[in-house]
Amino acid sequence: MSIRFEKVDYEYSPNTPFAFQALKEIDLELSLGKITAIIGATGSGKTTMVQHLNALLLPTAGKVTVQDFEIEANKRFTQVKALRQKVGLVFQFAEYQLFEETLIKDVAFGPKNFGVAEHEAEEIAKSCLRTVGIDELDYEKSPLELSGGQKRRVAIAGILAMSPEILVLDEPTAGLDPQGAKQMMDLFKKLNSEKKITILIVTHNMEHVLDYCDEVVVLDHGKVLMQTDINTFFENDEYMEKANINPPSIIRLKNLLKKNGISISKDVVTIDGMVKELTKRLKK
Amino acid sequence: MKNVTLGQYIPLDSFFHRLDPRSKICAMMALLIAVFIPTGWWGYLIIGTIVIFCVLVSKLQLDFIFKAMKPMLTMLLFLGIINILVIKTGDLWLSFGPINIYSDAVIQTLYIIVRLMMMIMITTLLTATTKPMDMTLGIEDLLLPLEKLKVPTHDIAMMISLALRFIPTLIEEADRILKAQASRGVDLENGSLKEKISAVLSLIVPMFVSCFQRADDLADAMEARGYVVGAQRVRYKTLKFKFGDYVVIIVANILLGLMIYIAVRMSK
Repeated sequence: MSIRFEKVDYEYSPNTPFAFQALKEIDLELSLGKITAIIGATGSGKTTMVQHLNALLLPTAGKVTVQDFEIEANKRFTQVKALRQKVGLVFQFAEYQLFEETLIKDVAFGPKNFGVAEHEAEEIAKSCLRTVGIDELDYEKSPLELSGGQKRRVAIAGILAMSPEILVLDEPTAGLDPQGAKQMMDLFKKLNSEKKITILIVTHNMEHVLDYCDEVVVLDHGKVLMQTDINTFFENDEYMEKANINPPSIIRLKNLLKKNGISISKDVVTIDGMVKELTKRLKK
Repeated sequence: MKNVTLGQYIPLDSFFHRLDPRSKICAMMALLIAVFIPTGWWGYLIIGTIVIFCVLVSKLQLDFIFKAMKPMLTMLLFLGIINILVIKTGDLWLSFGPINIYSDAVIQTLYIIVRLMMMIMITTLLTATTKPMDMTLGIEDLLLPLEKLKVPTHDIAMMISLALRFIPTLIEEADRILKAQASRGVDLENGSLKEKISAVLSLIVPMFVSCFQRADDLADAMEARGYVVGAQRVRYKTLKFKFGDYVVIIVANILLGLMIYIAVRMSK
């Protein structure tokens, strides 16, 4: 069971002067149960790629397999609804999709579309709003009364309410304050470890990649540049250079120390860990 | 959503793309009037040939033009049915039970179809070869004489250019919201009427909210950069007539004159 891309091409507006090939022969296999980061420069095809996972875009060539679902180019895909319930996709700036009068109704919208009874859907909505940390007093408020960060959480609750097995997040923390962003990432980690939800995150934040993800996929101009686990990625300067990213500050510090003859074990990836390690050495 | 052809600019390089927008707008108006002058088949043959020749010169693909006509098909069909049912003059051509089709009805319908097709071709030719911003500059200049009548021409032009500027943005936004709602199980194609209504609401409400938000932000951004309503402004881009522009205007007007002449001759 996995998510697989086989020679997937995607072209926007084919056969027009605006034609643009966003994905070129994507070959990729992602195992379930992990948190995978998808990184790459703006316009490298990250958003286009993740939209294939719940058949919002259909490949113009190749094949996408998500568990039992097979989405092939030039073939009608008939199980759209079933797939979309399995794969929850949270868009960039998801707060713009809220439309109902109250938070509860908005979050219950998803499950109701998938045939859950009204009352039950509201129960699900309540528990999802609790999961994302919205205060119970706000449940009957209009989405317009909330702050941007809160709206984003409600939108994510709206996706969680469909109880997806795979959660795809397109820059979920863009535009949030560092505190809010951290809370959100902690939430995803919790969903992954407690509910065994497979998580794919499109992000530009390398600190988040280092702190929360298990695996990283780097896209470049519509192609997969590399796919590797987090430790290998951040241990090799040439990898980061090839992917053209700025390493997180803790990695930079580690590399600087290494240059000056102090090598730190690769298990140390947090500031706390680093402080402990350094004090231990200083005491010696 | 990405297949909106009507009024879309196609970036190519041709004689028409290089023309001054003012001359294109003037020529288009002359041709549109010419199309609606009752000249019979000969007149249409002349205009039709010239319009098709222009489309070829503009390097636009013919199927692009036909795509632009698609939305009009239902209207044409509707017109055809009404004409056939209402007009009862001329020779009787066909008769199925209570429905009689007369020659005048068919000819009248054909006239309208030909006229509308040419109208769409001419306007598509203008919009497909003129950048939206150039178009507003042209409109602003052409409206200039109205300034004397205290018509706020600059404001009108600004409104048009803002509206044009935001069409692609709004299409993109609608596309994104549609996709986001589709991820939440919205199905616009299948489902009962009630489900469809809630599906449409799930698109419209967020669109409204974000439109107002955008308008607000845009107004602030414009004021922050010193835009004052009604103030005198200078222009970054100035329009200039070239040889080709004079030719196009003269040719279009000669054609209009010719059509009027034919129509007058025919009515005698």
